Amino acid sequence: MNDFPRDALILGGNRIPFARSGGPYAGISNQDLLTAALDGLVARYQLQGAKLGEIAGGAVLKLAGDLNLTRESALGTPLDPRTPAIDMSKACATSLETVIHVSNRIQLGQIDSGIACGVDSASDSPIEVTPRLRRILHRAFAAKTAMQRIKALSSIRPADLAPVPPRNGEPRTGLSMGEHQALTAAQWGITRQAQDELALASHQHLAAAYDEGFFDDLVTGYRGLARDQNLRSDSTLEKLGSLKPVYGVKSPQVTEPTMTAGNSTPLSDGASSVLMGSEEWAVERGLTPLARVVDARSAAVDFVHGDEGLLMAPAYAVPELLDANALTLQDLDFYEIHEAFASTVLSTLAAWESEEFCRTKLGRGGALGAIDRSKLNVVGSSLAAGHPFAATGGRLVATLSKLLHQRATETGLVQRGLISVCAAAGQGTVVLLESVAD
Amino acid sequence: MSAVQSSGSPASAERIKDLTDVPSFPAVYAAALDPRSARRRARKDPVLPRIAYRVRAVRIEAERARDFDHLMGGPATDLVHPGVLHVLTFPVSLALMARQDFPFALLGLVHLRNQVLQHRPVRVGDIVDVECRVRDLQGHRKGRTFEAVSTILGQDGEIIATDVSTYLAKAAGGEGDTEDDAAPRQERRPFEAPRPTGRWTLPADTGRRYAAVSGDVNPIHLSALSAKAFGFPRAIAHGMYTASRVFTESRVDLSRPLRWDVSFDAPVMLPGAVLVAYDDDRSGQSVHCVGWRSGSGQKSPRRCFEVDVTMLG
Repeated sequence: MNDFPRDALILGGNRIPFARSGGPYAGISNQDLLTAALDGLVARYQLQGAKLGEIAGGAVLKLAGDLNLTRESALGTPLDPRTPAIDMSKACATSLETVIHVSNRIQLGQIDSGIACGVDSASDSPIEVTPRLRRILHRAFAAKTAMQRIKALSSIRPADLAPVPPRNGEPRTGLSMGEHQALTAAQWGITRQAQDELALASHQHLAAAYDEGFFDDLVTGYRGLARDQNLRSDSTLEKLGSLKPVYGVKSPQVTEPTMTAGNSTPLSDGASSVLMGSEEWAVERGLTPLARVVDARSAAVDFVHGDEGLLMAPAYAVPELLDANALTLQDLDFYEIHEAFASTVLSTLAAWESEEFCRTKLGRGGALGAIDRSKLNVVGSSLAAGHPFAATGGRLVATLSKLLHQRATETGLVQRGLISVCAAAGQGTVVLLESVAD
Repeated sequence: MSAVQSSGSPASAERIKDLTDVPSFPAVYAAALDPRSARRRARKDPVLPRIAYRVRAVRIEAERARDFDHLMGGPATDLVHPGVLHVLTFPVSLALMARQDFPFALLGLVHLRNQVLQHRPVRVGDIVDVECRVRDLQGHRKGRTFEAVSTILGQDGEIIATDVSTYLAKAAGGEGDTEDDAAPRQERRPFEAPRPTGRWTLPADTGRRYAAVSGDVNPIHLSALSAKAFGFPRAIAHGMYTASRVFTESRVDLSRPLRWDVSFDAPVMLPGAVLVAYDDDRSGQSVHCVGWRSGSGQKSPRRCFEVDVTMLG
């Protein structure tokens, strides 16, 4: 008799410091970054030669040739080369989804161990040819005669030769993510002051956590970088307040633009990984479980026709997750809400505090209520660390798991934590973790 | 290159010459092409100079290591590929071998074997000292062999790695050698091609690309024209390019001490194709790889290189 589902445990994590686009990881590929993160994980947990159940990873800005990015990266590590791998993609929620994927497989008994990971390099993002040029070239390749080939190639115009960098915006609305979020921030009346305060807290918390050595067993240096490059431990409200708004400045709906480079995440490079396994596997390897994956949900909103803000899907997914586990929003000990923009976090919290939103949009009897802000992103988040899209979920899971384990060991009480990540195309993924004490 | 000091050691007859920096290849090769170096061939009883060339505090540049890793088809790792250490020390060895009192002509030397023993990992950005010597002159049916030994030391004075290159200096008629002269058919080690696990297609610019990351601009590797000037029908791949590429694909745990043994047979012509076969030791402690060019018609397959990578603890 199978005794499934069983617990999927978070056993640890490793990431490389996140860098700003064009910084120390310029000239370094996604495969380099992911291999570095995995190499560090292998070294930390002595996985040399280990054959794992699966490695799930992915990247958002991905070269066509990187179709097996995760597998190719794993083959560059001392892991057993017979470890299978899968590439997955869901914009900024990619590595949260890989965690869920590995967790589900472990819970169902399909695998005993695995790694969830993600990577992105804005410095080395794909640059393509125009669709018109691509089709002309394909016609030329397929041509049977020289005349046909010349005819195809002669239709190339100078404008076709311009390189096409990755699109920074929603294809259906033409607005960038920041422009979308500026609309949401204005709708919820999120102030500049509140956004700058959240950004400052993120930098201060991350800097303090580094100083305390919190990241000593979560981060491995790479290319001379030992801490996240974007971290400004000396940032102040005055400095943040002096920055010019960059999003919403052209939107007629936004009377007073509030979103700046200081309260928005920068384009970043980095990779993260999370080691997971069953209890038996953890015992066998002598590893200490930090947390278990309790449950996960995803949601999507119709932002295309303006029914909801682009990055508001987690506001819907979280109540569903809480209900399924008979928890209230206030039952949680830690909240990790991805700081795509400071105003994303604040809009989400405002929605949960709104009677009207919770009644009309969520169909509930009343508001979910406010959270204790001292439990929010306690060791900093994306505004300070940076946000290599597909690496953020793995960073959050490893960070929260360590926090849960630490607090549970200190207090002797079970600790619960929430991870909420918004993603492009109006999507969101949320995960509930619970501590495993020593 | 420039010498800042020459000092004799009281304990031995060996002298140490400190260079301020790793010399540049073009300068060394230019020195080697000096017509005066031709006189060396006449020497009947060659003696190796008892001198060590030393360069202190050389930084292992991250960009160079990255380009090297990428050329080998591997990820840019913070732990340095030993091939990077080889190309770091190689110009120092060459500078020593370009000395007027060195008994052999630099450009006629044939790289027979290479052996690296790495005791501890090196990270990009690390600062190391490099010492190069020549030793162990031996008779050989085609001339004489000797070893160029490069030692890489950490700033704590500990030896990080030793790189031993064995060269053959041919006795006479060294110029105009063709590949088939390098090892007469009847004396070749018998070679039966195993089942290949891979096939490398090496374009004509392989030598130029390796030269760009290694700095080794020996003309026999760069183009058919420059190779012809030195008696080769076509450009040949750098031996350490093929060896380093095998190393990268050997899935080595660079954090562990290791040994990397290479022997070279027939040269790899450019452009060209090489078949390779890997054979892993079951315990995962060692990897063996042989590379060869396939035979056709009357020509039997020719082994080009053999590589062993062994983990040491």
